[in-house]
Amino acid sequence: MFANLRQSIADWIFRAKVPETPPVTLAQRRIFVLPTKQGYFFALVVLVLLLASVNYALSIGFVLTFLLASMGAVALLHTWRNLAHLKLRPGRCDPVFAGDTASFRVVLESPSRERYAVGIRRRGEIPAFVDVHATEPTVASLAVPTQRRGRLRCGRLEVFTRYPVGFFHAWSYFDFGLSVIVYPRPDPTAGLPPQQSTSGGDEGIPVPGDEDFALLRGYRPGDPPRQIAWKALARGDDLLTKEFQSTASAELWLDWIDARAPDPEGRLAILAHWVIETERLGQSYGLRLPGVSIAPGRGEPHRNRCLEALALHGEGTAP
Amino acid sequence: MSGTLPNAALDVRNVMWLLAAMVFVAAPHATRLPEWVGVFFALVVAWRGWIAWSASRNPPRWLVVALTVAAVAATLFAYRRVTGRDAGTTLLVLMAAMKLLEMKTSREVVLAIHLGFVLVMTNFLFSQSIPIAIYMFVCVWLFVATLVGYHRGVGRSPTIRERLMPAGMLLLHAVPLMLVFFILFPRVQGPLWALPQDARAGLTGLSDTMTPGSVSQLIQSEATAFRVQFDGDIPPFSRLYWRGPVLWAFDGRTWKVPELSAAGSMEYSRAERPVRYTVSVEPHGKHWLFSLDVPGTLPRGAGIRHDLQMRSIRPVDTRIRYEMTSYLDYRYGEKLPSTFRALGLSFDERRNPRTVALGRQWARESAGPAQILNRALQLFNAQFTYTLEPPLLTSDDPYDEFLFEVKRGFCEHYAGSFALLMRAAGIPARVVTGYQGGELNPLNRELLVRQADAHAWVEVWLEERGWIRVDPTSVVSPDRIDSGINSALGPIGVIPSLIAADRLRVLANLRFAWDALNSQYNQWVLGYNVDRQRQFLANLGLEISDWKKLALWLTGAVLAVGGLVGLALVLRDLPSRRDPAVVAWDRFCAKLAGTGIVRAPHEGPLDFLARVEAVRPAVAGEAREITGLYVEARYGAGISKREGRDLLARVRRFRGRGPFR
Repeated sequence: MFANLRQSIADWIFRAKVPETPPVTLAQRRIFVLPTKQGYFFALVVLVLLLASVNYALSIGFVLTFLLASMGAVALLHTWRNLAHLKLRPGRCDPVFAGDTASFRVVLESPSRERYAVGIRRRGEIPAFVDVHATEPTVASLAVPTQRRGRLRCGRLEVFTRYPVGFFHAWSYFDFGLSVIVYPRPDPTAGLPPQQSTSGGDEGIPVPGDEDFALLRGYRPGDPPRQIAWKALARGDDLLTKEFQSTASAELWLDWIDARAPDPEGRLAILAHWVIETERLGQSYGLRLPGVSIAPGRGEPHRNRCLEALALHGEGTAP
Repeated sequence: MSGTLPNAALDVRNVMWLLAAMVFVAAPHATRLPEWVGVFFALVVAWRGWIAWSASRNPPRWLVVALTVAAVAATLFAYRRVTGRDAGTTLLVLMAAMKLLEMKTSREVVLAIHLGFVLVMTNFLFSQSIPIAIYMFVCVWLFVATLVGYHRGVGRSPTIRERLMPAGMLLLHAVPLMLVFFILFPRVQGPLWALPQDARAGLTGLSDTMTPGSVSQLIQSEATAFRVQFDGDIPPFSRLYWRGPVLWAFDGRTWKVPELSAAGSMEYSRAERPVRYTVSVEPHGKHWLFSLDVPGTLPRGAGIRHDLQMRSIRPVDTRIRYEMTSYLDYRYGEKLPSTFRALGLSFDERRNPRTVALGRQWARESAGPAQILNRALQLFNAQFTYTLEPPLLTSDDPYDEFLFEVKRGFCEHYAGSFALLMRAAGIPARVVTGYQGGELNPLNRELLVRQADAHAWVEVWLEERGWIRVDPTSVVSPDRIDSGINSALGPIGVIPSLIAADRLRVLANLRFAWDALNSQYNQWVLGYNVDRQRQFLANLGLEISDWKKLALWLTGAVLAVGGLVGLALVLRDLPSRRDPAVVAWDRFCAKLAGTGIVRAPHEGPLDFLARVEAVRPAVAGEAREITGLYVEARYGAGISKREGRDLLARVRRFRGRGPFR
């Protein structure tokens, strides 16, 4: 009941613009504190102790009662202090395959003291707890199981603490617009992609690739190091980049049309499997989806680009 | 709920902490409650400890229920009820044990900790002494530390320091607010509801009867009866007769407070040598209050009887404090109404026939009452000895047995037999019980009167003179009256305690210091009641007329002090204060800006210095020093405190003016 009340109060008070620009510092006014069930129970116990002290005229009983009552009040400050001025930044949120566990990471920094047992949670889910060190940033990793491919948005997060005695719940909300790309779960039964019916015959159009050495050209920032002409550089020439070219015949197009499955999700699963397998075989490949076409290529970034396109298929373009 | 604790599962160490705190808080009860309670508690705690240690399962539910029922039944059997101090405490201790046994989740642990706080309170029902108070607040610390342990420790159990430190800080920060509450919280007079009968059990003190042997039991007790602070000089020891119950009714063995309780007045035909003093009486559960003979004023809420016995309207259940004036030289009661005269002469003819016969013989042979008194005192002086361990008087005529056979006794023997002799001789007499003397604490000049100072003496009524005090014990053992019970009993003494060790001054001084501390504690902590609160606040300049006003003050003070504590915590926490080097540098730049050299936002300190050197060579040397220190502080290895002060001083002295080049 208290949790619900807290939630609605907070929902009403906290109407910040999302997503917020990191880092978010938990300033005084964005931290809320309310007693917990334990806190109310403690207050009840203090009341009982007070009645006993009055009735039995126990002076030292008064001391005990007032000490505990004051401790309750001070606990509010301590709990609040455990959150105040905490600095939050978004952490890395790596893509996962559907069915795996995604991790939303938040980096916490404390400018002054250590903070203990700071929890981060999504509404209604199990929180992740961390102790935040005074010197180094601490990463809180919130594990969320995934079911469907697509963009999994984290939504608003609650950062809270009940340290040191659990009588108060201090919390704040923040929203960095964290999201995790969830790739379609690959369909292992899909086998290998069908070899291309070479539409262009033998007279393939040369396309940039890395099969055959074609020419040397001037270095442009962004060229991969292994294509730099080190020998030329050693000879004293300028920084040159070796350019290769592949022929269209050697490239493989992974096509939506080839992936035969009764529903689009099945097709995506097959395509995901093909992407991974082709990448593993070291072959160059392109991806063709309705409305999306990724030119052939190879390597980890290319693979991820393809998988991301599969993940986000039908959800609009990636940001 | 489980989602809000970093460690929802019960950690062995957390359980052990809780068990340890519970054992600590329950330990003092071991001597106060029946043995089986302690044994049961110890066994259950050991069992629970073993469960936690070996990670085995809690006992099944039916067993816990059965044990709980058995515990309640045993309590009922032992006390015939479950309320009252002893029974209630027993029940709480047993229930705490059961709670420990059945707890499985962290939430139940928190419940058990709250039970621990209540157990602390039950200890105060039995004792509020300084050692117990200190011990109990250590227990509170342990409980809070246990509580912290459950809310701390991500992925591991917190260390001892990680538990005790935050708990200690929490309690320490709570002290200012606690003091405000303690001082200003409105106190009420008396209980809210009837106290259980045993709430004041175990109080020692005088009773309203006296039989041979009853006072000497008290003599074994070191417990404090009351404390006295005199205004001005302390009267001689031999005049310190603290008047208590006055016993008139006599049945041959026992002297009693009479049924007749007519109110008296404090009109004396002579009242000189006033003494002013303040008495704080330990609770004794009865009505009487003590004063030196004869009382000249009455404390609030007290009345006086015809025989000058002061009685409080409420039983003295709490420590009370009152101011008194007494007159050491007095004369009163020259007119004795016939009812009192009859009461002062009555005795049972059939009991103690030899004593009665002796009294009557003296009456026949003597010229007047003075002579009778002297004969009696001479008799005691010649043949009797003073002892704390008199033989038991078993016959139906105890005073005959004492006067003619045993001849050794304690004050009540002398007072009782003397009064009987006087009555037989036709002189109205009554026994007065109370205390004689006391122990002066040289540190705070406070007189400490112990139960061991209990005494009984006699008052006789003489024509024209009224009531006068006669202390037959003083002729047997003058030391008893002149310097106290200890010297009367000789170097070895009968009391096997610190009192007997008085010969060693060190011990005595320690004891005096301890007594002085206790006195302050009693006065300011334990004795802080309605009156004391009003008086204390009046001294502070607060005239508190009623509790509503007090409540207002309390609210204000709580807000103020709570705000201050909060502010202190918040301020300490603000993102780190500005580096003094930066402060100095900003000032340096501001001074130069005032003279026309404005540092551009992008301009580094060294570039800026180069520009200053170029534009205004007159200040170049000083500017170089300041910039050097600043750069070292900010970008180098840092500077010492002394260099920091030097930097500030240089900037303060720095004058940016000088000719432009």
